[in-house]
Amino acid sequence: MSLDWLDAFLVSGTFGVVEIVGLGLLLHLQVGLTRIANFGVVGFWGLGLYTFGVLYVQVDWPFGEPWQFLFSALAASLAAALAGLVVAWLIADLDSDGALVGTLGFSAIVLILATTQDQLTGGALGLGGLGFPYDLGTTKANELLWLALMTALVGLILGYVWWVHRTPYGRLLIAIGSNEPLARSMGKHTTGAKLTLFAITCGLMGLLGAMHGVMVRFLDIGSLDVGITLAALAGLILGGTARVWGAVIGVLLTVGLFDIVIQFYVPLPQEWFTQAIPVLREAVFGALLVVVLLFRPQGLLGQMRRSKLIRAMHDG
Amino acid sequence: MGDQRRSSIRVEQVQKSYAGRMVVDVDELVLGDVPIEGLLGPNGAGKTTLMRMVMNSVSPDAGRITLNSSDGSTTTLSSLPTHKMAHHGVVKSTQVITDFDQLTILDSMLLAVATTGHEFPVRPGAERSLMSANEDEIRSYLERFGFADATAIAMSAGEKKLLDILRCLLLKPSILLLDEPTAGLPDEVTAKVLEVIRELAADGTSVVIVEHDLDVIWELCDEVTFMAEGRVLMKDDPASIRANATVIEKYLGAGHG
Ligand SMILES: Nc1ncnc2c1ncn2[C@@H]1O[C@H](COP(=O)(O)OP(=O)(O)O)[C@@H](O)[C@H]1O
Ligand SMILES: [Mg+2]
Repeated sequence: MSLDWLDAFLVSGTFGVVEIVGLGLLLHLQVGLTRIANFGVVGFWGLGLYTFGVLYVQVDWPFGEPWQFLFSALAASLAAALAGLVVAWLIADLDSDGALVGTLGFSAIVLILATTQDQLTGGALGLGGLGFPYDLGTTKANELLWLALMTALVGLILGYVWWVHRTPYGRLLIAIGSNEPLARSMGKHTTGAKLTLFAITCGLMGLLGAMHGVMVRFLDIGSLDVGITLAALAGLILGGTARVWGAVIGVLLTVGLFDIVIQFYVPLPQEWFTQAIPVLREAVFGALLVVVLLFRPQGLLGQMRRSKLIRAMHDG
Repeated sequence: MGDQRRSSIRVEQVQKSYAGRMVVDVDELVLGDVPIEGLLGPNGAGKTTLMRMVMNSVSPDAGRITLNSSDGSTTTLSSLPTHKMAHHGVVKSTQVITDFDQLTILDSMLLAVATTGHEFPVRPGAERSLMSANEDEIRSYLERFGFADATAIAMSAGEKKLLDILRCLLLKPSILLLDEPTAGLPDEVTAKVLEVIRELAADGTSVVIVEHDLDVIWELCDEVTFMAEGRVLMKDDPASIRANATVIEKYLGAGHG
């Protein structure tokens, strides 16, 4: 099979969009339903990425692929889930400002650890040696299959999020987000629910990080800056934090626009892409956040449509 | 008092001050040893604060609050987290109107009846089994209280207040604290709420009610506790309370009677 027609950067660009959609969907459960401000997405994702990379490269695995990948990715997810549990416990009784500082602080710790533990992580120089758990012959084919697997994973996350809205569990999360003291007085162990939610969603963020590691095959501390948090948040908030499809629509309109449409279909001078566009992208995402929050805080898709959903589920 | 044992709450030497001012100072009080107990007193008497301390959503500065359950067991409520109160059968409606701004009326009711098992993060079919197990009860409440559309979010203050009471009922309390449950409700709804309270009490729930409509208190309650300035001044049957000189002076005389 010849893949010459396919631009390799288009594959990695699409991978990035899909990945951020996944992060946005998980963020939707935290921010949109449960109303816990998580500004440390990159911390959980990055912990997954680095745990995966370090284990994959530095450990003398007694077995080959795909076990080497599977074990490293599992450990990465568990590490991120555990971090989610601890962070959720620390911020459980704080207001949203406290949650913001706590989660942001956590992501800073991950960056510091990745930078300073350079014997393991490669530090500022980065760490190579990661690879695909299979070989289809060409890098492009390998990347394409990895993109398909990532899309399937994010599709599963989308399905889970869609389903959560239709379950007693989702109702509990919305109740906690709406009025936690009232939920507590109804006998709901709200702190436990928040901890469980963070363990699951942050664990999945870590898994997305591990998937990312395979795609880029190189650990780079540059990826631990605020960029991916900002992209996931801007997308989710633009699309609508309270809606299942908010992250999908929003991320397509932001990251999709910048990293795919402008990158591949708008004829701009080459040096713009390496210098101006990445800076412009962050600035636009930041400005977009401000504008949306000022003028349409509920996002493009608007408020949760709980009445409609409940009617569809329980009427008749 | 009926022949069956009721759940009751014992309040001992409980004190609470705000900014140096004592707002509750109760030496000894048992709440809920009769089917329906009224908690009466002027505004600021400390009734709401006392109920909040029972629920442990406000912590007392001193003293002990214990639950004597109908099964004979004793639980120290002051060391029980709020979310465990309902599991021990202690449930309270709030005086201030409160609701889940994102949840529909039906959602609120299903939330009340859902167990931890239903609310597991991955459990296929949980919603269906939750609904089928509780549909009859929920529908009968909805019909009885005339909710036009349970799939809507409660809008009016009256609707929210009523929904709060329904949530409490669905939690199947053994002791139910109602803090001005009928304030702001239309008369015909008030009548329905009182009817449910009577039924509940007849079924063995101990109801403690703060209510400003004195006719309701005299008619509904088996016993009345009278509070003023944070203290319990007396606890007696409604007729004696009504005739008491102190009560008349501190409360009924002041335009309430
Ligand atoms: N959170 C609080 N902070 C300060 N003062 C309070 C607080 N809650 C209640 N109080 C005061 O305590 C007194 C008793 O209030 P409350 O228990 O609401 O009385 P009641 O319900 O009998 O009207 C009032 O004087 C009230 O102003
Ligand atoms: Mg009060």
